[in-house]
Amino acid sequence: MATSSASKRLFKEYRGLSNDPPEGITAGPVTEDDMFLWEALIQGPEGTPFEGGVFPAELKFPKDYPLAPPTMKFLTEMWHPNVYPDGRVCISILHPPGDDPHQYEQASERWSPIQSTEKILISVMSMLAEPNDESPANVDAARMWRERRSDYEQIVRQNVRKSLGL
Amino acid sequence: MDPSFTLPDSTDWISTSLPAFEPLEAALRCEVCKEFYENPVITSCSHTFCSLCIRRCITSDGKCPTCRAANQADKLVPNNALREVVQRFQDARPKALELARIDTPSSTAVNDPGKKRKLDDTDIEEPENVRQTRSRQARSKTKPQYGFADAPIEVPDSEDEEEYIPDGMVKCPVCGKPMKEALVFSHLDTCTGSEEPAGARSTRSRNNTAFHKVQRPQRDPSPAPTRLPGLNYAMMNEKNLKKKFQELGIPTWGNKTLLIKRHTEWLHLWNSNCDASENRRKSKRDLLKELDTWERTQGGHAHVKESEFMKKDFDGFGHANTHKNQFDDLIRNARRKAKAPKAADEQNDAEGDSTTQAISSPIPPPPDALPSHGTQSSVDPLRPYEDNEAALASIRAEVETANRPQEQQLPYVNGEHGGTSEQAHLSEVGIRNPFGSPTRKLPMFEVPKSPVVDVEHSTNSC
Repeated sequence: MATSSASKRLFKEYRGLSNDPPEGITAGPVTEDDMFLWEALIQGPEGTPFEGGVFPAELKFPKDYPLAPPTMKFLTEMWHPNVYPDGRVCISILHPPGDDPHQYEQASERWSPIQSTEKILISVMSMLAEPNDESPANVDAARMWRERRSDYEQIVRQNVRKSLGL
Repeated sequence: MDPSFTLPDSTDWISTSLPAFEPLEAALRCEVCKEFYENPVITSCSHTFCSLCIRRCITSDGKCPTCRAANQADKLVPNNALREVVQRFQDARPKALELARIDTPSSTAVNDPGKKRKLDDTDIEEPENVRQTRSRQARSKTKPQYGFADAPIEVPDSEDEEEYIPDGMVKCPVCGKPMKEALVFSHLDTCTGSEEPAGARSTRSRNNTAFHKVQRPQRDPSPAPTRLPGLNYAMMNEKNLKKKFQELGIPTWGNKTLLIKRHTEWLHLWNSNCDASENRRKSKRDLLKELDTWERTQGGHAHVKESEFMKKDFDGFGHANTHKNQFDDLIRNARRKAKAPKAADEQNDAEGDSTTQAISSPIPPPPDALPSHGTQSSVDPLRPYEDNEAALASIRAEVETANRPQEQQLPYVNGEHGGTSEQAHLSEVGIRNPFGSPTRKLPMFEVPKSPVVDVEHSTNSC
């Protein structure tokens, strides 16, 4: 079976991530037969209401990766301004530089072939700590984060428990 | 199990005595494909990528992946110096990595300069020979792997010193024999360099490579291919395109969209091959093979096995219907088995906890988690709390909580006491369930170490 440059590069990233994993992040393909579907576990950053949680997510890579970015979706319930209610993550690094639906992102923040899965996951981790409420994916969560921070944190903590299967 | 270890990566250096080589190797790799630069080219914004990678990027969005400056494919210039460096590094890498892996960490401090030397030596094909030569010896002496063992090896080198070259004599650059200067040129015509004495001169291996370089063009006289221009697809209909494809010698099947995609990819492959050095240039047949690979992974044949196992596209109901009989059998068997232990449960209420948990979890709970087992396993070294009634009481409470179906407690706050049984519980309920992928054979991830303290107990008890 011929391997495309995309799956070769994904294999490389998988190697890099398992040889030298960043703190709080684990990621890899679901099966080694298909490099285009990954699962990732992200630990909730310390000092945030997400602390103590472990959040599974799914990454789907396009056939022309790394020219186009993957999509990322949390597999547990997430209450966060930048995560759609269905779990999809809305963050600038996952947007190709061509389209800018929200008109607020710097081109330099967006996807480029030199970015990597590791950088995405690190960005998502810091997104958990510092939501960007300028162009929220979840408007209710964004408003609650802005206006009633304690309620927001309480929901997040409940979700942390849910993500641990409690 | 892990085929990834056949794939060299810059992170290979991290665990060796030369971690500083990790960034060095990373710098010799293309940021787009993460491979060693293949036919590196410089963009008009002075960034370097593999020719093929940057051509694909430019087709995709016309910008440099690093700085997003606008770029054109026909402005790319080969970076020959870097190409040479990458080739030499790749040649030297396996041996260097091998040595760095067996090297003891204690000698690391001495190593670094020596290892860097080693990179200088990469133009030599046989390092063993080189070590016997005098002028090279100064360099190779500092190689870390030989350390003090170098001293005895220097002895034959010093013999070379006696074989000094008298005034008015010069060495043949090929075989190293000293001879009168006037004779060198006539000697060179006949010298094959093969029958030189054991104490070969340092220049030999160097000149050998030089000779290869001279000979290569003679063996492979094909002229450098010219880069293909792009086509104005909007101006061409399908028929014209196919005619053009026949001239180029690439497959002509498919609709216009696919034809355009194929031609674009062919341009990438062909033009990046033009940036290769002469001795590394691929034949058209190889390029056609690569086009075929592209066809199967991204082109017209790509859809074949795509996402058959992707979670979202998986037809769960269809699968359940076609395999209904097997599922029914499994369910029946499972029910039958589940009934038997339940009967046992009622007989021995105290042991009930352990039985149900043993069935539901892959990791049997350690004896210390269950106080009722105390009499059976009093010799077990895993039971540090046997005489500690307070600890036992708290363990009992925790085990009960853990076995209640609606648990209200965070599993990792329990600390060391109930660790193992909690871990079994957590790995079963908390982490694995979200990954209900049908293709998964083994859980990809273990529970992170930090929340669960008592990790080694579970492995012992298996």
